[in-house]
Amino acid sequence: MSDKLEAYLEEISHYLAGRAEREEILSEIRSHIMEKAAEGPGEFTDAAIERAIASFGPARKVAERYLDESRPIIAPAYKRYLVRYTSLLFALHAALTVLAVVLKKELIVFPLLYIPRVSVIGALMYLPAAFLTDLGAVALVLYFITQSGKDIQLPWPKFGVDLDEIKPRPKRFWLSRIATAVGAVVMLAITDFALYLFARHQTIFFVNMDWTDPRPLFSPGAGRRLSLIVIAMFATTTLSLLVKLLTRSRWVDIVSNVVSLALIGLVLTQPFDNLFAPEIAGKILPKLGPWLKYTILYSLLFVALMISIDLIKHIVIISRRKLRSIR
Amino acid sequence: MNPKEEQLGIGSLETEMNRGFLHILVLSLLEKDMYGYSMVKHMESLGYKVEENTLYPLLRRLEKNGWIASKWDLTEDRPRKFYAITAQGRALRAGLLDVWKNQNRVLDEITKETPHV
Repeated sequence: MSDKLEAYLEEISHYLAGRAEREEILSEIRSHIMEKAAEGPGEFTDAAIERAIASFGPARKVAERYLDESRPIIAPAYKRYLVRYTSLLFALHAALTVLAVVLKKELIVFPLLYIPRVSVIGALMYLPAAFLTDLGAVALVLYFITQSGKDIQLPWPKFGVDLDEIKPRPKRFWLSRIATAVGAVVMLAITDFALYLFARHQTIFFVNMDWTDPRPLFSPGAGRRLSLIVIAMFATTTLSLLVKLLTRSRWVDIVSNVVSLALIGLVLTQPFDNLFAPEIAGKILPKLGPWLKYTILYSLLFVALMISIDLIKHIVIISRRKLRSIR
Repeated sequence: MNPKEEQLGIGSLETEMNRGFLHILVLSLLEKDMYGYSMVKHMESLGYKVEENTLYPLLRRLEKNGWIASKWDLTEDRPRKFYAITAQGRALRAGLLDVWKNQNRVLDEITKETPHV
């Protein structure tokens, strides 16, 4: 018996693992190939068997023909919910992770989510794993629904902006390029000015506009740290706009969003105590202290949420394109 | 398939059309006991090329549904699995032939009504 034939049957057998009738299928394929190889001109040779195998088709394709009658893992009607529900769950997961970082506590939404107490860097490491968990959990639910064979209408709230209804970018090529170029120039000017202020005064936050006698808003240490973070945000936006002049790839937006989220995370880790310069603190903190603290906190969280939603939107669109190209 | 057919995108549609036709063809052929390879050769002799890796899974599905039955013949120098149509298979074939004839009739009517088709 040809080694080639046995290797071929072994490969088909591998893809048919778990099927009760596997041996029967392999016997019939073996019989067919031997029959075909014996029929050709000349002797019954390995070359004739190879030709018969080539004519029968690649092992995986052959095995799939026997498997294609089985129920799909996720029914076509539910496939769109994989992206929809994962996006929703991950948005909640991401928002709660930011909250866990800020509150320095672990958060549990039993039995759906568990967010450990993490640092900013830890959160950045945690989020990709969280995304995969969300994707797996949603896929599992849709798998069980599909296998149940029941007609279940899955709910989907109307947000106004359904991810399915995101319109493609306008094709007015030059108009969008000009807008990007103007944005890049403006952001470049702002970044340069911020750098100039920082080089001169070690901060970019002031309470007056008198450049001969500037009065910083924050204490020297906090002012320096916050200034550097904000300058990094300006620089990120400038750089992404400049890169967008060369490419419209959504990966640029994704990288820009991730860096922005990390920078917001850094801002959130700065201690509120001793934040303001002593003379400012004496005036405003007794009256507005707690109110100001939570206003800053929730404003930053709101910005982080908006960036997260934008980030998810880009990831979903890219994933869909990849899935479409695989099909 | 010739290059013109390929350019027109007939290939994938032909595969879909063949799916139903192959059921009728196999059920018709199996009025006489046949094994897989002999069926392939017979169809080829009639000018119909069937993919070998399509035929065998189809035979398995037909058998699973009770429309055909099989038995191994070990008397020759090579074992062969022979198939034959069952009473249920004959009833199915009659039904499928009715569908196919009706489709042909509809197409004929349309061709007569519309000379460009």
